[in-house]
Amino acid sequence: MKPAPFEYHAPETIHEVCGLLAEHGDEAKVLAGGQSLVPMLALRLTRFEHLVDVNRVAALSGFGRENGTLVVRACTRQRVMERDAAIAAAVPLLAQATPLIGHFQIRNRGTVGGSLAHADPASEYPAVAVALGAELELASPGGAVRRLTADDFFVGTWTTAAEPDELLVAARFPVWPARSGFAIEEVARRHGDFALAGVACAITDGRAGIALFGVGSTPVRARDAEEAWLAGAGAAEVAESAVRDLDPPADVHATASTRTRIARHLVERAVTRAQEGQRVAG
Amino acid sequence: MTTSTAGRFVGQSVKRREDPRLLTGHGRYVDDVVLPGMLHCTFVRSDVARGRIIRVDTEAAAALDGVTAVLTAADLNPHAGNMQPTLLLTTPGAPLRPLADGDVRFVGEPIVLIVASSRYVAEDAADLVEVEIDSDPAVIDVEHALDDGVPIVHPELGTNLGAEMVFPISPELEAVLAGDNVVRRIFRQHRHTPVPMETRGVVVEYEPSVGELHAWMSTQNPHEAKQAMSRVTGVPAHLVRVEGHDVGGGFGQKFFTPREEMTVALAARRLGRTLKWIEDRRENLIASNHARADVAECTFALDGDGRLLGTYIDHIEDAGAFPVGATGGAGALVGLLFTGPYKCALASLRTRSVWTNTCGRGAYRGPWMFETVAREQMVDAAARAMGMDPLDWRRRNVIPTAELPYTLPTGLPLDMVSPSETLEQAAEIIGYDAFRSEQRRLFAEEGRLVGIGLGLYVEPSTGMMDPMGTETAVVRVNPNGQVTVALGTGAHGQGIETTMAQVVAEELGIDYEDVTIVQGDSAVTAYGRGTGGSGTAVIAGNSCRNACAVVRAKAIEIAAHLMEAAPDDLEIADAQIAVRGTPTRSVAWTEVARIAHLETARLPEGMEVGLEATATFKAPPFSWSNACHACTVEIDRATGVVSILRYVVSEDCGVMINPMIVEGQVAGGVVQGIGGTLYEHFVYDDDGNPLTTTFMDYLLPTTTEVPTIEYGHVETPSPTPGGHKGMGEGGAIGSPPAIFNAVADALALVGATIDRTPLTPDTILGAITTDA
Ligand SMILES: Cc1cc2nc3c(=O)[nH]c(=O)nc-3n(C[C@H](O)[C@H](O)[C@H](O)COP(=O)(O)OP(=O)(O)OC[C@H]3O[C@@H](n4cnc5c(N)ncnc54)[C@H](O)[C@@H]3O)c2cc1C
Repeated sequence: MKPAPFEYHAPETIHEVCGLLAEHGDEAKVLAGGQSLVPMLALRLTRFEHLVDVNRVAALSGFGRENGTLVVRACTRQRVMERDAAIAAAVPLLAQATPLIGHFQIRNRGTVGGSLAHADPASEYPAVAVALGAELELASPGGAVRRLTADDFFVGTWTTAAEPDELLVAARFPVWPARSGFAIEEVARRHGDFALAGVACAITDGRAGIALFGVGSTPVRARDAEEAWLAGAGAAEVAESAVRDLDPPADVHATASTRTRIARHLVERAVTRAQEGQRVAG
Repeated sequence: MTTSTAGRFVGQSVKRREDPRLLTGHGRYVDDVVLPGMLHCTFVRSDVARGRIIRVDTEAAAALDGVTAVLTAADLNPHAGNMQPTLLLTTPGAPLRPLADGDVRFVGEPIVLIVASSRYVAEDAADLVEVEIDSDPAVIDVEHALDDGVPIVHPELGTNLGAEMVFPISPELEAVLAGDNVVRRIFRQHRHTPVPMETRGVVVEYEPSVGELHAWMSTQNPHEAKQAMSRVTGVPAHLVRVEGHDVGGGFGQKFFTPREEMTVALAARRLGRTLKWIEDRRENLIASNHARADVAECTFALDGDGRLLGTYIDHIEDAGAFPVGATGGAGALVGLLFTGPYKCALASLRTRSVWTNTCGRGAYRGPWMFETVAREQMVDAAARAMGMDPLDWRRRNVIPTAELPYTLPTGLPLDMVSPSETLEQAAEIIGYDAFRSEQRRLFAEEGRLVGIGLGLYVEPSTGMMDPMGTETAVVRVNPNGQVTVALGTGAHGQGIETTMAQVVAEELGIDYEDVTIVQGDSAVTAYGRGTGGSGTAVIAGNSCRNACAVVRAKAIEIAAHLMEAAPDDLEIADAQIAVRGTPTRSVAWTEVARIAHLETARLPEGMEVGLEATATFKAPPFSWSNACHACTVEIDRATGVVSILRYVVSEDCGVMINPMIVEGQVAGGVVQGIGGTLYEHFVYDDDGNPLTTTFMDYLLPTTTEVPTIEYGHVETPSPTPGGHKGMGEGGAIGSPPAIFNAVADALALVGATIDRTPLTPDTILGAITTDA
């Protein structure tokens, strides 16, 4: 359980990071909190000649409001999402989701961008990003910046639409209107494990977002269920619709049918809770 | 709490003296041992469960900078001596070998040993070794391993049946088994593994010019390791020394000396170099030892009132390919103990240990605990079948204290136990009757599924198997009166340095702080049994007592001589040897110790100088302990998730040396039972590929999964001098069926049944099919 040899780089600016990624192409990998990458290196499940540590890049850390958007820079620690009252005020779902990620030691190191870029299908943040309609901001070697919607960003298990030489710079979460309700629900084998199934959802006047996680190769956006919800369907009906076309993976922790059953129940619970939140907020 | 039998030290919850160093990071584990010129090892392991080795190409690995040696079977196996443990040297077992030779027999089997300047380089070299294996169909399903046409795991043995024990079925038993109330169930217990926090590891120094082999090892049993390393390397035993220091858990895994440690010792001897091997977690999960993989068909014959008339158990245990210790089996005890603490006149059994192409079976806290699992789950099934409450069934069938001693139908003599008292105490603490009414209310009014389960057992710690039944203590009083005690134990979390000091201080009438326990080092302790099998309190404790008796008598004789008093009139208390009833006439313990060493002219005529004694204790064939576990659970019908609401253990381990340590030991076992029943599952696919090779997939319980554990104590002294009984394993024996029964009890509300563990959402939701 020792990683293969690699060269270690510790740049301090986004420009330098992009330069290193351009230079080494797919032989390089960004190292953020290391909570996913380091175990994979140690188990030699993956290896890279170059690790580009972005922890010293000041411009990659912190968050701020830009009009109706909360911009979370990629290397901001997950624990900031959990603890900072400004996050809970702007994007309550981020604050609700974070305690479900691993354990506090992991959230102290793990970053928001690392979780999104890693794109584990059972991760909370990707589902939150999809449910809320977030955008991901990517910098490429030439200095160009592009934005992708969360719907477009997640393309498969541990796979995103980002090119190997692109750096995730920030995630842009829209701040939903005051009269909104949010909920995230999941079932994991133990506290802190990746979810067997989970759902993040949000509702406001004229808009609903439902994204399931742990039940596909990416976060699964339940568009029909969103429409049914907006049209006033009850929680059970919304849940039924959300899982109708699910094709979840099976592994040692749960069969596909267990995941579907759990997912349906969680959608029902989350939708009910979000509605209640919206009612209280309004 | 303190108990009625509490002494000044024995019976007190003295804080563990090991903890300050362990909790502040100053423990000394194998990986902390760093020696000059030390090299690092790693193994290249098979990724095929069964197959023929076509080619092993080590050239590129050997050429890598920093690599000292790349060893294959040809380099080591011809030089290896017997690899079976001392206890089982003549028992037929798997054909053990240091490295795979010609074929591989489970995923994880070592094929190549790499020796390099660091573990990093060693792993780089491992990546460069090319192993080509032609894979053959593997034997994974133990229940079909004895079928016709199934491949043979060990061609040398010609059969997949490792061991078998069959008791004939008497005509009387046959008659009751054909009676009106016969309950038959098949229960399956899934495979799990001990998972000590410190993985296995060894540092071996061999200096050819001196001829001595010195090993530091994570072991429960330094003397066994010494014998094993001597046998495998050919270095005479008096030139082998094994030290243990702190050991971060073993749970049975480190009782015998495993294959990798012996292989590294052999390599050190061949190379004449100092080698370190520290197992990583993946290796520990896939290739150390597994346990608990059992299946049994159980039959209870009852009379119309639910009284047990006869039992039959047909048990199979999965031995894996290379079990640690002969067949690794505990099946005989599963069969012999199946009727446990219940009255039953007739019993018979068949138990078989079967080879498969999986990681070998080995000891794990309560190696034969499936007797309790199968029986207690049967009890609930039988009670339900007879329309009885499981507590009432147990009350009706448990052996009453007044009827002890009681001979089990398999012939084992049961005595000095209190199953019915612990049953009542556990039921009382958990509020059994109140829970039953609350359960009905919650189900009727809210549709909630809560359940209650019991697990009642008796546990023999046996002194029958040499060398496990004996321990030798050396009690040495230093010239200043402080006492050093040497024991052949290999403590790995039990607090032996604390409890044995309590016993010695109590016996000698001196202060606990003035007693030091030295153990875990074969060179400075007498040959001993190691630490395992719940034996320390009884066996090491009484060897200390026996040695103390000699020291004490001599100290009194010296004091009597000094005071011109009769030895019979003297007593030792608070480090003073005084005339009974006249405390002013006394000599200090320290003064006696000083005179014994430094003013020897004042000793009685002809008395030997010094104040020290060596004594052994041989355990009786059986000393039984017992306990009752009770727990309540809630099942989330929608998600299949089980939560434990309350957990109670009422135990009887005789006279407690240290109640806090007793409770700590019980807690540790219960946590393993919770893990084993709900979370921990070592999974192979049909081809023998392990699927749970990291802690992401092999799930251990954490603090958030474990409830507060409540304790009750019953104290029935054992017939051995201290009155103690074995209790290290019991927590892990009683807990799995208690949890299983609680879940089954909750599921019974909706007519659902379970017959296997682990109790995952899959299992639970699968059971509640009608609830979908
Ligand atoms: C025991 C345990 C439990 C966990 N449980 C959960 C859980 O329940 N839910 C959950 O969501 N996560 C969980 N995680 C994962 C955790 O959230 C990780 O922190 C996260 O997935 C990765 O973030 P990181 O900052 O550690 O990234 P790293 O591990 O450093 O990197 C992860 C991947 O993202 C890439 N990357 C990182 N930053 C960027 C960037 N700015 N631009 C481009 N690529 C980038 C890296 O190159 C790498 O491929 C768990 C981890 C552990 C160890």
